[in-house]
Amino acid sequence: MGLVARVIEAAGIATVCVVGLREIAEQVRPPRAVHLKWPFGHPLGEPGNRAQQLSVIHYALAALYTVEEPGTILDPDWRWRREAYAEPSSWVMP
Amino acid sequence: MLARRWGRRFDALTSDDVPFTRLRKPLHACRIALITTGGVHLRTQQPFDMGDSRGDPSFRAIPADTPAEQLTITHDYYDHRDAERDLNILFPLALGRELVARGALGSLGTGYSFMGHIEPPHVETLLRRTAPEVARRLRQEQIDAVLLTPA
Repeated sequence: MGLVARVIEAAGIATVCVVGLREIAEQVRPPRAVHLKWPFGHPLGEPGNRAQQLSVIHYALAALYTVEEPGTILDPDWRWRREAYAEPSSWVMP
Repeated sequence: MLARRWGRRFDALTSDDVPFTRLRKPLHACRIALITTGGVHLRTQQPFDMGDSRGDPSFRAIPADTPAEQLTITHDYYDHRDAERDLNILFPLALGRELVARGALGSLGTGYSFMGHIEPPHVETLLRRTAPEVARRLRQEQIDAVLLTPA
C-alpha cells in the first residue's frame, strides 16, 4: 500500500495511508501515515462503530494538512476497544 | 511474526527519498479517492488471483456510487468477515458519500482496490505498470487527495 501511495504522490496527488504495521511503513516510507495497531482487516475500527470509523478518517484527512515532513508516521495511540470515540464535530480543514 | 516476515521481504524496498505533494485546497473543495489493498471488488469483476503465492498486482476500479451489496472481498490472508458486514471499516465508500452530502468533502472519485503483500516479480509490475496506471486515472479524474487503507 505504501508503494502505491508513493507512486500516486510522485504523480502530484497528496496521499495518506492508514497502516497497521509500523515496521513496514518505516521501511517503505509512504508520504504520510497514520499508525493504528489494530487487528488485520479493521483499519478504521469495529463494524458498526461509526464514531470510531469517522474519527480515523478525520484524523487521516487532517494529516494531509498538518504533516510537513515527508515520511511522517503519526501515532494517535487509540486503543482498539475501550476508547471513548465521539463523532468529529467539525470537518473544516485546514 | 507476520511483521517480521513482511519486514524482511520489504528490505529491498527501503527508501530514503519520499515523494511529497502539498494539498492546497480546503477539504470541502477536494475531490477525494479511496484506495484499499484489502482485495475488495465488484461481484461482477474477476476476483484477485489467490493461486499465485507471490500475489496479484492488478487492480479493480470501483465507482464511488457502488452500493456495498455489490462489493465482495477475495483475499485468503486475513479475516474479512467483519469488513463484509460493514465495509466502512476497510473501504469507507458509504461514509465518504455521507461526508460529501454534508459538505465536508467536495466530491468522491472512483475508488481502486489492490491486494496487499505483492512479492517479486509482481512488485515490479505494481511499481511500473498498475500503480502508475491508477495514478494516471486519478489525475485524469482530477483527484486532489487519496486515503489508502490496508487489509
